[in-house]
Amino acid sequence: MMCGDREVQLNEYVDGTLAAGARALVETHLAQCAGCREAVAELRALLAGAAALPKSIEPGRDLWAPITARIVQRATWNVRRAFWRGALAAAATLVIGFALYRLLPSSPAHDRREERGWVAVQADYARATDDLAAAFATERDRLEPATLALLERNLGVIDAAIRESRDALARDPGNIELRGLFAAAARQKVELLRWATRAAT
Amino acid sequence: MQADPSDLVQRAQQGDQAAFEALYRAHVGRVYALCLRLTADPVRAEELTQDAFVRAWERLASFRGESAFSSWLYRLTVNVVFLAQRASRRRALRVFTTHDPAALERPSDGSGTAAEQLDLERAMAALPPGARQVFVLHDVQGYRHHEIAELTGIAVGTSKAQLFRARRLLREALSR
Repeated sequence: MMCGDREVQLNEYVDGTLAAGARALVETHLAQCAGCREAVAELRALLAGAAALPKSIEPGRDLWAPITARIVQRATWNVRRAFWRGALAAAATLVIGFALYRLLPSSPAHDRREERGWVAVQADYARATDDLAAAFATERDRLEPATLALLERNLGVIDAAIRESRDALARDPGNIELRGLFAAAARQKVELLRWATRAAT
Repeated sequence: MQADPSDLVQRAQQGDQAAFEALYRAHVGRVYALCLRLTADPVRAEELTQDAFVRAWERLASFRGESAFSSWLYRLTVNVVFLAQRASRRRALRVFTTHDPAALERPSDGSGTAAEQLDLERAMAALPPGARQVFVLHDVQGYRHHEIAELTGIAVGTSKAQLFRARRLLREALSR
């Protein structure tokens, strides 16, 4: 029987992970302790037995049929999902287009819409991007980590531009150039989210 | 004549299901053995083997050939097993020992007698899940502790403690 406080050392010894000094101390102890020598022999036999176990065990039945059925089922589901994602993206683009149209200053009719304020435009924009962002959120893990990180950095930059434009417009609601900046940033965000949603499906 | 594995992988990456089936045939034994030893449950092991190959099909595009396809597939399998375990943590793991020994009574392809191997398989199946999983990954599959920590989400120290516990319990079981 091994000495009670030697379990970790003896395991590390048979694994070959001890430093030279510690290894020498264990070997000195082993020369004097029959119980620990026996434990080392058992550990080595156990490791040899584990390493010699069959690496391959055939399952009791052929699993290819259920696997291929699931692959086909998922492919069908992905096509359906891609269709709905596309439809959603198209709808979002329409909403954004409508929202951006509201921003254009030209006609008296538009001026009347403008009076309703850019808050309504922002709501349209927010709804469209939220829909796209929600669609993307469910599939974001399919993207490579590096791609996802780059995407998030870019979204952060665009969001910062949108925030700045929005803040500036809050101070100066009638500024045409600020509206243009807001519109450009909004368009960029929609395009990036559309791309990300397509790439992840 | 056997197809070149890298050619099979490339064809499968392009959506060739026949190539993927050839990869399945080549690797299902090792994937199932891994699932069976990690779960000690033949039915669950079949489900997880299916999950692993479906996941592999979906993730084939992410295989860049930086390691062997087999290494990539076995790591993915370990991930599938541990993700499933985390997802169903409340469900008690069904451990079989003498209730269903036939599941592990397979022909031997290694050294040592079949009886000794069967004794070891049975003793492994009776280990507590955490100790069994680390023992399988370290001493049967050859993963290092830092790889086990990365794959399973436990600390390196925990991996070592579970391994040494598993070895102690196995020595006790096999010496009876």
